Amino acid sequence: MASAVYYDDVDLGDELPSMERQVSDYEVVEFLNIARIGEAKENRFTSAEAAKSEGLPEAIVPGAMNIAIMSTLITSWSPTVTLRKLDVVFRGMVLHNRPIKLTGLITDKDIVDGSPQLECDVVMENEEGTPLVIGKATVELPVRE
Amino acid sequence: MTTDDPDLKYDRSLLGVDHDIGTYDVTKEMIISFARSTGETGVQYLDEEAAKNTVYGGLVAPPTFCNMFVNGVSRPDIKLEFGNVGLFAGQSIENLTPARPGDTLSAKTRLKEVYAKTGRSGKMVFAVWETQFTNQGGDTVALVQESFVRRNRSTR
Amino acid sequence: MYLDLHTHSVSSDDSRANVEQYVKWIGVLRKKGHQIDGFVLTEHRKFDFDKDYSELGSENDVLILKGSELDTDLGHFLVYGVTEQLTQQVDFSDVDMDALKLIEIAENTGAVAIPAHPGRFGIGLTEFTGNGRDFSALRAAERFNGSNRPGEQERAEEFISQLGLRGTGGSDAHLVSAIGKCMTRFDGDIGSELDLVAQLKTGRFEPVWLDDTKQEQA
Repeated sequence: MASAVYYDDVDLGDELPSMERQVSDYEVVEFLNIARIGEAKENRFTSAEAAKSEGLPEAIVPGAMNIAIMSTLITSWSPTVTLRKLDVVFRGMVLHNRPIKLTGLITDKDIVDGSPQLECDVVMENEEGTPLVIGKATVELPVRE
Repeated sequence: MTTDDPDLKYDRSLLGVDHDIGTYDVTKEMIISFARSTGETGVQYLDEEAAKNTVYGGLVAPPTFCNMFVNGVSRPDIKLEFGNVGLFAGQSIENLTPARPGDTLSAKTRLKEVYAKTGRSGKMVFAVWETQFTNQGGDTVALVQESFVRRNRSTR
Repeated sequence: MYLDLHTHSVSSDDSRANVEQYVKWIGVLRKKGHQIDGFVLTEHRKFDFDKDYSELGSENDVLILKGSELDTDLGHFLVYGVTEQLTQQVDFSDVDMDALKLIEIAENTGAVAIPAHPGRFGIGLTEFTGNGRDFSALRAAERFNGSNRPGEQERAEEFISQLGLRGTGGSDAHLVSAIGKCMTRFDGDIGSELDLVAQLKTGRFEPVWLDDTKQEQA
């Protein structure tokens, strides 16, 4: 389990612990089934053929799942962190079963309306280093007492 | 932006108009499946018993949980006359109140803007929607803004 | 003088960086020993006449200038020295405007228009070189771009070399921490958009990567 991080401990330019993972076919199906997004038997998220029929190279990971995976970079950083806002742009398709890397960097630090907040650049990139999802996270960390 | 671009053909009457898009019952199983499939490790998302000892006092949904619902909703058709492939282009989610098992979330959405630009795959048209999720107590759970792009199928 | 000639703030739909945060980040880069004197905001398909960053810039010793990145029939173009006269003659929201006409109008109104990321797939000038167009009006092109994907930098280098153009550098930052990734080093001093245009016309500049600014300082 990650150790507790406090607002006092961090500064601009600090990196969040990076993460590497792949998204499996099974995880995509499980995700889609939660809200019955994937009731159609074959679609761009589950079938390479269906994806290709739409001009996509292969089956892709749903956008809502990508942003959820991005948020784990923040939530797994520290049990003390609260993710207030995550704002991302999808710049490339995230494919199943391919290595992806998540990185984050603290770019701002301020007390906003009494709340100790950080802004972090967050990036999901493929194994070539091409950014697939980029964005900004607004997070809260507690101040040491 | 170019929401008023006369070359963009879509149903402009939808701009800024709220549409109820449904209610969603949040269950323990949904929260745990969501957390497991996306790689969450915090016990507040995965373990009902252990979650009782966290600051949340019980199981809560991961921060981007509401996105799952907007991904599956039927929105009003804006009748955009452009492109033959649609993709998710971007999204922001602001979390105001944690969603918990037993919550019933209601959502309303509105079309914010429509505009064109060019990118690696040629001309693209973006439609931006704003969606608000409210729980049964009237608290706003999340504010979601999504951007969808339509483009023509790549020939590359 | 080191300027990042290609940046986007939240005024562009696909950027998540605000100008104040760029300025703070430049402070971080300077603490690490990098040289960066300022940047040009080149928002997509618009020019923000109403935004004034001069106070923010002077308080932090950072030059903040404004330009634009426009979508044309020959890919994206960066425009420096935008005037009201230019915006009256060019519809900045037109995603298929005539690039050669843009270059001409820019020159006639005291501005300079150069191809952005010419090696980029889909929206770089190298995608449009086979149609017999005359590119002799080009003064320069963006040689270093911080957002290039694999292969795009090489395409840009080849194109610029073939045409014998001067090259600029810009990060194409859409996130705070991307600013300054590459820049343009000018021989002369620049304090305004007018100065920038004048320097671009002299040809006395070169693109640099951020790491190069540290080495030169040491």
